[in-house]
Amino acid sequence: MAKDPLHTKFCDMMGIEFPILAFTHCKDVVAAVVNAGGFACLGEAMHTPERIEADIKWIREKVGDKPFGVDLVLPSTAPPAGTVEKLHEGIPQEYWDFAAKIKKDYEIPDPKGKQDLHQWGGLNQEIARAQMDVILEEKVPVFCSGLGSPHFLVEAAHERDMKVFGLIGKKRQAQREIDQGVDVIIAQGYDAAGHTGPIGTFSIVAEVAAIAGDVPVIAAGGISTGRHLAASLCLGASGVWTGSMWLCSRESDTDMVMKEILLEADSDSTVYSNSISGFPMRVTKCAWTKEWAKPDALKPLSSPYQMLLSSEYIQAANDWRRPDLMTEAAGQGIGFVDSMKPARQMIFDMVEEALATFEELTGVAPE
Amino acid sequence: MPIKQQPTKPGFNPDYAGRKAECDGGGPVLDGRYATREEFAGTLTGEYVDHGDPPWRWYLMGDLTKKPDAYEDDVVWCEEGLLFLIDE
Repeated sequence: MAKDPLHTKFCDMMGIEFPILAFTHCKDVVAAVVNAGGFACLGEAMHTPERIEADIKWIREKVGDKPFGVDLVLPSTAPPAGTVEKLHEGIPQEYWDFAAKIKKDYEIPDPKGKQDLHQWGGLNQEIARAQMDVILEEKVPVFCSGLGSPHFLVEAAHERDMKVFGLIGKKRQAQREIDQGVDVIIAQGYDAAGHTGPIGTFSIVAEVAAIAGDVPVIAAGGISTGRHLAASLCLGASGVWTGSMWLCSRESDTDMVMKEILLEADSDSTVYSNSISGFPMRVTKCAWTKEWAKPDALKPLSSPYQMLLSSEYIQAANDWRRPDLMTEAAGQGIGFVDSMKPARQMIFDMVEEALATFEELTGVAPE
Repeated sequence: MPIKQQPTKPGFNPDYAGRKAECDGGGPVLDGRYATREEFAGTLTGEYVDHGDPPWRWYLMGDLTKKPDAYEDDVVWCEEGLLFLIDE
């Protein structure tokens, strides 16, 4: 009988049963995954420090001493102050006309309420710093940086018995963070939802695993099944970072209309588009992305202008729950998620399929 | 000093002034629920700003030779952790 291939050094480091990490914006999913033997990080980049503190306390009540993490998107570049002023005047009329045509062609009503366009952290390091400070004060077991380097917090975190994880998109970013003492590297490939790097998951995971030494590497990008888990471990990873699949979990607060869209999606249902925010990000296809992808479409503006341009569409789509208009960040692995299950069941299904995969390959049943 | 009251301190590093560099940048977008990656290359001015304690250091890069399409500014602030000097 072979050893348990799912008991990795990441499991030993964190004292958890399964090397499955869930990234989610929903604290109920965090609690369910952690209590099922996995690990979970709560995305808090859009929340105030006060809300972050409340969420941390809530999770602790649900999971006790089991480890969990909080993820922030640390900015790593920022334009000079003042560039977001006079947003409306900065958008050429032909762009307003293009957006108005989409609205007319798809019969999109006005949003129900006032649009709330704001940014956390990206143009204001003070806000990001305040978010980080509350995570340190609360001594969350893991602080995860979803984008920028968390190097400057490593010492302060370790003094508080916290671990620091860093999500990277290139080998040199991984090397830098390993050298800076980051405890776990999450190698995110192009298949991922949202802000992917330019390198495919299959390549970036193997590349980073080759240089990481004793530092656990977690594979990310398009991962949603036990076979993906087994493959990631074969690439040298010690676990998998999963995101999009949890949007469809029973516990997730994702809108039911959006859940149905995601459950029907396949790997070709996402697009890497600048049209939502002005930055390239992977989202599910929708009317807006389709119109901006046409050969005769205008070239998307930079951020934050494109964000302002798309904000009315996004809000109207969500307010009126129009499945033809709604969109969500989702990775290419979303095609494997075809039913809404409790998070606990999703963990067990993934584990069972991974073990079956190893047995299929080796002919030997694991422990 | 309470963490929440840490100051922002500007400074100048002569060793970085005039150095060519690349920055693997990006940050949160929309309401912070999403993020994006951007790449920049240019010349560091040597100016920096430290946010809080422990310091979160940001360097100013100008004479941009690489920047995202439609990025309108001529300078960008780059967090030290993902700043790579390229003329060593």
